[in-house]
Amino acid sequence: MLKDYLDPEIYHLIKKTFNFDDINEIRMRTNAKLIVVIKNKKYYLKNDKGDYIVANKVMIENFIRRASENSIYAFNDSIINGYLTLPKGIRVGICGNVVSDNNNIITIKEFQSVNIRIPHIIKNCSLSAYPYLIIDNEVYNTLIISAPGRGKTTFLRDLVYQMSQNNLSKNVLIADERTEICSVIDSEPMINLGGFCDIYSNCSKKFAFKNGIRSMRPDIIVTDEIDLEKDLDCLLEAMNSGVNVIASIHAKDIKELRNKSGFENVLNQKFFNRFVVLSDTEGVGTLTNIYDEKLNCIYCR
Amino acid sequence: MKWFLIIVLICVIMLIAMGVSEQYKDKFDFYSNLKSFLNQFKLNLSFKQEKITDFLKNTQGKKYFKQFVLAYEDYLSTDIINLNKIKVLEQSEATELENIIKNIGKHDAKNEIKQLDTFLLEIDNKLAKAQEDKNKLCPMILKLSLLFAIGLAIILI
Repeated sequence: MLKDYLDPEIYHLIKKTFNFDDINEIRMRTNAKLIVVIKNKKYYLKNDKGDYIVANKVMIENFIRRASENSIYAFNDSIINGYLTLPKGIRVGICGNVVSDNNNIITIKEFQSVNIRIPHIIKNCSLSAYPYLIIDNEVYNTLIISAPGRGKTTFLRDLVYQMSQNNLSKNVLIADERTEICSVIDSEPMINLGGFCDIYSNCSKKFAFKNGIRSMRPDIIVTDEIDLEKDLDCLLEAMNSGVNVIASIHAKDIKELRNKSGFENVLNQKFFNRFVVLSDTEGVGTLTNIYDEKLNCIYCR
Repeated sequence: MKWFLIIVLICVIMLIAMGVSEQYKDKFDFYSNLKSFLNQFKLNLSFKQEKITDFLKNTQGKKYFKQFVLAYEDYLSTDIINLNKIKVLEQSEATELENIIKNIGKHDAKNEIKQLDTFLLEIDNKLAKAQEDKNKLCPMILKLSLLFAIGLAIILI
């Protein structure tokens, strides 16, 4: 997949040295060694002579040029949000010189680094949590919690897939703000999430919640990386419309989550009935704890 | 027989002259197609913002401009560009166009449009030059060739 985007030399070295299916991230920073991350372990890429491969400006520019199909203007909306999405849900985080005008970000140029994140489908990774989140065909409002790169999105994807596999014939609306859950290219989802999903990609949560509830009659809305303050209106809209929400948030554990502004409000209003904590102790997406709405631990590893 | 050969000779000379003058017409057509391509692309940036690959697929052109589109498509898939094979272009013109191609698609829409305006100015100059050449040189070549052919015929008679 990355063959079309990486420099041929880099691609062949990576292919020769690692198994592409195991790679979680490829990081290129200007004038720094190229890093390949596998299961949270970092490896430096070396050439045949044993020298480290050092990323440079041209390498990064070329990668972004190819990733944007030589049409940066067509991808500028996501570039200003710091990412690009490639087929099969591969997400490229971008850093560089942010150009703004009157506090409006216009674009990012002079790219300094890219982080290529390759999603993995870990089949059945949500199975052990499933009985705690879906009981008698009723889905609990669930918040998936983990630090970045610990498998929140993978868990979300699998949970949605399992719901469909278990014939839980609920309409699932995916509010995929950053096309991470399921990239859609030419109207086709790149990841199989089962047959009950409607997908809004590349749009704000506000838009997806408001329009989705109105037009798609969802039973469940699934979304990634919510902000407990900024997205409160969306949550309210869903709750007041009888729509369940399964969302994810960045936090290492419940303690860290409690320190987030807006959490006490969410907790008091009982927006969520289940809090699922993931870690990477036994590989990405390891289920650590499940808490109920009063933060009592109902599953402890 | 002699007369027949003279007529053939005149026809051959005129055909060569027409071929040479055709190059100027082709060059003019090429730049005029290129100008309209860049203008269309500017419109695309303002509204549809189609990717360059998709935009090229919908671009039609004849003869040398078609070669240009094919070379552009090649560049998008291989990163290698060579416009020297377009006969109507001189080496310096080919290099200049190669640089233009390499710079398209590297900015946000607003800056892309600004850049295209600069390119269009350059293309306008080249188009004006091509038109001048076409208007002046084409009839001149034809006239001179005709005179040469007639002169040659007189000598041969």
